[in-house]
Amino acid sequence: MNLPEIIFILIMFVTMISALVTVLSGSVIYAMIGLVATMFGIAGLYVYLNASFLAMMQILIYVGAITILIAFAIMLAGPFYKRPKEWSTTAKLAASFVLSLFSFAVFFKVIMRTPWMNTKAQEFTIATKDIGRLLFDKMTLPFELISLLIVVSIIGAIMLALLSKGEK
Amino acid sequence: MTGALMYNNLYIYLFVGLFLLCCGILGLIYRRTLIGMLISMELVMNGAGLNFVAFNRFTSPENADGMAFTLFIMGIAAAEAAIALGIIILIFKRFGHIDSHEIKEMKD
Repeated sequence: MNLPEIIFILIMFVTMISALVTVLSGSVIYAMIGLVATMFGIAGLYVYLNASFLAMMQILIYVGAITILIAFAIMLAGPFYKRPKEWSTTAKLAASFVLSLFSFAVFFKVIMRTPWMNTKAQEFTIATKDIGRLLFDKMTLPFELISLLIVVSIIGAIMLALLSKGEK
Repeated sequence: MTGALMYNNLYIYLFVGLFLLCCGILGLIYRRTLIGMLISMELVMNGAGLNFVAFNRFTSPENADGMAFTLFIMGIAAAEAAIALGIIILIFKRFGHIDSHEIKEMKD
């Protein structure tokens, strides 16, 4: 077992354990920190998949933007004592565990049964230049639609904030 | 599994993506605050993105479609987070809490 493999296993375990922390921790702040660790782990997996541009984008967008948004929402949504406790009834905990384990089993079987073509590692020479060319050549319409979607969502968020101000 | 290298295997990445999906489902049901449910939703989206990149790497290494789709997923996740957080803050101003069990005005 060589060094890259050991680092890969480490990254994988960091990703999975911090995903568990994200879901099962008692406080929302700890969940947010777990989300940050998960995003860094997934960025490491992208590096192992020869997608270094996506790894940078992952860190920039998720760790830099979305987590900051969530942190602001946590700070704006009232003090700690007003927040509900995360532990609800035991029946609900059992139900959520059963559902997620059931879906895990189903998808695991699907993954193992399906004969994926060329699952062996081959030469992979896609650079960032190719992604850019693809975005402006074949996928121009989805690219423009994504920008329209983001503009609409930003205007919608501002309108929601204005709406709550006008009511009082 | 050529060369017996662990990170050159498609199934490892699919397994990690599946684990993230199941964690997200668990959190969506188990969490009570709306922010916790939003964080779980982000986990599900990241599992999907990881699957796209892994399939691009291993089953069609000659084009970059999967990577472009992962970029689209990131954009959609950013838009979704912005809208959801606006709604969460609006709910907090109106009700004074963000407990998803207590918001049932339309149900009654």
